[in-house]
Amino acid sequence: MKSREQEYREIFMAEALEYYDAMSRHISELEKTPTDEPALNELFRLMHNLKSNARAMGYTQIGELAHHMETIFGLIRSKEKSFTGSVVPVLFGGIDTIGNMIRAIGDGQETDSVADVDELLANLDRLVRGEEPVLIDAGAAAEDDANRKLELSDLVYIQIKKLDHLLNLVGELIIDRDRILTLSQEIGNSALQATAAHLFRISDELQYSVMDARLVNVGSLFNKFPRVVRDVATAERKEVELTLVGEDIQIDRNILQIITDSLLHLVRNAIGHGLEQPQERVNLGKPAIGQLTMSAQTERDDVLIHVIDDGRGIDIANVRRKAVERGLISKEAATTLDDDAVRAFLFEPGFSMAQEVTEISGRGVGLDVVKLAIDSLGGQLRVDSTLGKGTTFTLVLPTSIAVKGALLFELDERSYAIPLMHTDSVVSLWPEQLHIVGGTLLADIQEESVPVVSLRRLLHNGDGPLKPVHRAEVTGRQDIIIVNYNNRKLGLIVDRFLRQQAIVIKSMSKPLDTIDLFGGVTLLGSGQVCLVLDVPALTRLFLAKRP
Amino acid sequence: MKNRILIVDDSFYMRTMLKNMLTDAGYEVVGEAANGQQALEMASQTNPDLITLDVILPDNTGLDVLKGIRQEQPDVKVVMCSAVGQEVIVNEALESGATAYIVKPFSEEKVLEIVGGALQASGSTEA
Repeated sequence: MKSREQEYREIFMAEALEYYDAMSRHISELEKTPTDEPALNELFRLMHNLKSNARAMGYTQIGELAHHMETIFGLIRSKEKSFTGSVVPVLFGGIDTIGNMIRAIGDGQETDSVADVDELLANLDRLVRGEEPVLIDAGAAAEDDANRKLELSDLVYIQIKKLDHLLNLVGELIIDRDRILTLSQEIGNSALQATAAHLFRISDELQYSVMDARLVNVGSLFNKFPRVVRDVATAERKEVELTLVGEDIQIDRNILQIITDSLLHLVRNAIGHGLEQPQERVNLGKPAIGQLTMSAQTERDDVLIHVIDDGRGIDIANVRRKAVERGLISKEAATTLDDDAVRAFLFEPGFSMAQEVTEISGRGVGLDVVKLAIDSLGGQLRVDSTLGKGTTFTLVLPTSIAVKGALLFELDERSYAIPLMHTDSVVSLWPEQLHIVGGTLLADIQEESVPVVSLRRLLHNGDGPLKPVHRAEVTGRQDIIIVNYNNRKLGLIVDRFLRQQAIVIKSMSKPLDTIDLFGGVTLLGSGQVCLVLDVPALTRLFLAKRP
Repeated sequence: MKNRILIVDDSFYMRTMLKNMLTDAGYEVVGEAANGQQALEMASQTNPDLITLDVILPDNTGLDVLKGIRQEQPDVKVVMCSAVGQEVIVNEALESGATAYIVKPFSEEKVLEIVGGALQASGSTEA
């Protein structure tokens, strides 16, 4: 298994470097006091451990060299040899060479890229046989030693909160930059414009560098799952084979942190309720061992994470019935909903309670919590399932938290933004292209009937249901943004489309954040405050208030 | 009931590898000791069914630890972990009451075979 090999390799490296440092220290002590017994014992023990570990890792050359060195230290310890004369430079050279080999492995190179190993081994053999070693130009070697540079590790460990702070600063910088760019255009000074353009490029690069520094491999989370799956499978008496795909896909560390519980939840659900017992699977003509796949892939700026099982699947008819029973939808409407829309009910808060778990293959336990976590990232959660064949959950996540693509539009002479994550398309329609059914406007978008609502009306409706729309109210061209949340499409009529832009979303200051229709604010280059619409909240509001 | 094992080795790498091998095979690893003193303390605290004991340790040699454990807990099975070239120590260990030995570098199969065999060895270990 790749994960464990990688773990072993990292532990080996860390310990080998530690040994190397300690051995360098002890051999210097030994040089000062050639009879220093504790130093000698430590050299022997560390060399011995390095040998065993290197051999276990398959680094035969290090193992071989450490073995030879251990033998000599053993002879010195048993007083058959003394740490004097030509023995000293050979052993010093040996420890240096071991250090070079360990570093070569750390750099992903072969240990035989390290020079003079054969010569060193030959000299060690000579020492064991009681012969004089052949020292090549001891003067030059001593000079090399004297000129040796101290090396520090190329890696820096940094607390994530320091990177958070850096990212926040960059966010502020981007806002000011956009403001300066706009001002420079207004002022029209060409030197100022050139400087502003340069500032734009540099801050862009800075932003991507900081975002890049926060990226980690999805594998750093995925690799914890073989153990989880094993434990859950054992507890549930299931047989499960886990396949991990795309561990090297990169994503912001904090996003990975936020989805950790969600993934745990989905995996536990898949094993506990999705996959059948081995005997049941065999009876169904499936292989006894259930397949569970966790995969990551990038799609444009997003990272898609799938949790796929080949278990029972979700019984749509049951979910449909449940939704009607819970009064989430009328019986008539339920029959017309397509399967995707029905599955979306699984993510409704408290949709399924414990006693109903088994009836719908256990899906739905706390899925609303998973949904909320993904929503908080501006992501999407989708489910796809075939009864008897299995279920796939898909998390659509932004690669990075800070900057989001957004569509800017105008309403009542104010600018608003909608994250691109939630926009399907923009259309301009004439009144005759819109129908009114039961007081609700409907547009035919790609052979699908999508409800359309005036955003002005939705935002300023207050309590109570929306007023039914009358034909006479709809005049002139309608600019409509089609948003998508949880497989539900909704058209929002706005005054004017502006442009697409990367925006830095800031959370709202206190008085505003009670208005949950807005996910945050952003400052535009003009200095104007722009509210960012929360599509999930808007969609829920529309469903609750539709006439 | 799961057999309970104490791992004694001064290398974190070796301990990790042994622990993974043994845990994967269904044993319960009750502790990991990195030196002789820890080994003796943990052996009496955890009272394991079996101890894997490295021959070379920072403070005591593995042999001293073996003798110390034998005095306190005559029934515990002890598997010595040694490297090639330490046959003399291994022989002495077997004479001092070690149940079996493994030679490093070891394969997972070998470790499980020897640990399994040692646990099945009947009654108290004879010198």
